[in-house]
Amino acid sequence: MVKHKSFVCFMFILMFSLFAHVCFADKVEAEKALVDAENDLASAYVSVAEAEKAGADVSGLLVKLEFAGALLVEAYNINGTGDYDKAYWFAVNCSESVNEIVGEALSLKLEAENAYSGRLFMTAALSSVALCVLFVLGLFGWRFLKRRYLRRVLRMKPEVREG
Amino acid sequence: MSFEGLKLSYMLSCFVLGLIVLSPTLVMVITLPGGERFSELWILGPGHMAEDYPFDVRAGESYSVYVGVGNHMGSSSYYVVYVKFRNQSEALPNATAGTPSPLSPLYEYRVFLEDGESWEGPLNFSFSGVLLSGNQYLVERLRINGVVFTVDKLASWDGENNGYFYQLFIELWIYSADLDEFQFHNRFVGVWLNMGG
Repeated sequence: MVKHKSFVCFMFILMFSLFAHVCFADKVEAEKALVDAENDLASAYVSVAEAEKAGADVSGLLVKLEFAGALLVEAYNINGTGDYDKAYWFAVNCSESVNEIVGEALSLKLEAENAYSGRLFMTAALSSVALCVLFVLGLFGWRFLKRRYLRRVLRMKPEVREG
Repeated sequence: MSFEGLKLSYMLSCFVLGLIVLSPTLVMVITLPGGERFSELWILGPGHMAEDYPFDVRAGESYSVYVGVGNHMGSSSYYVVYVKFRNQSEALPNATAGTPSPLSPLYEYRVFLEDGESWEGPLNFSFSGVLLSGNQYLVERLRINGVVFTVDKLASWDGENNGYFYQLFIELWIYSADLDEFQFHNRFVGVWLNMGG
């Protein structure tokens, strides 16, 4: 019985030490979580901006960033009032929601880059074919034009008649 | 037309036709410079119009305005709008030098906007712990959107304008991916408040 009690006590202390920082965050932990959330949000924005630069539609991701930003603002405001547990919780939630955004932005960027490469290849191929056709037609056209020009010049040559 | 003239005009026509044929590819590769890039920042009254701004304020009453941001930067932008509170003797941002006010921000909004989009959010505020002593008002606490901030701000009597004046103002900051930090975007706007008016 004593053994059983001490085991329960040991497990309780172990679990408490494992999850204490989640339940009772202090000022230092809350501020560290805020800094992490701030950095995570900024990196997520950079990923989204890169995806947009690659031509992806990022409007959905911006809505998620807005939500994460609201969590961070809440975390800052609550941290100011001294409720560090709640501030920590909001900051961690912000970081977690932002991690998903980074992944989504990366896949959107890849998709957009692939689509762009495909489009560029197709357009460049069509342009090259059109340019080749233009070159060949240009050569034939020039030969035709040259011949016509010379014929007209020769027709203008003065004729010598016997008189 | 001389033979040389004919040759030159034919070559020019071919060159122009070649450019037209290549234009779809060129458009995809070359990035043309866009128009002027800028951001907007505004405060509107309680009816979302540029009127009925709170001016004569007192302790215990709630006031409401709207804060707005517009993005015309050519791409998505990440903004922070800082709400600051000052009396007449404290510094505003310097628009010429492009430096923000040295006052600490009380409240902030984080806004992500696509190019050409705008955002508007409420700014509800009220005062508590307001004391009049001699010719000075002291505002101890300012509540913004439900969050209470201790400000302890004094305002002396302004004989010229007849009032005890404070200013609630907002600054626009933009995130720079190159510098990996927020930069003051040289945009600020505020509302004057006459305490006890």
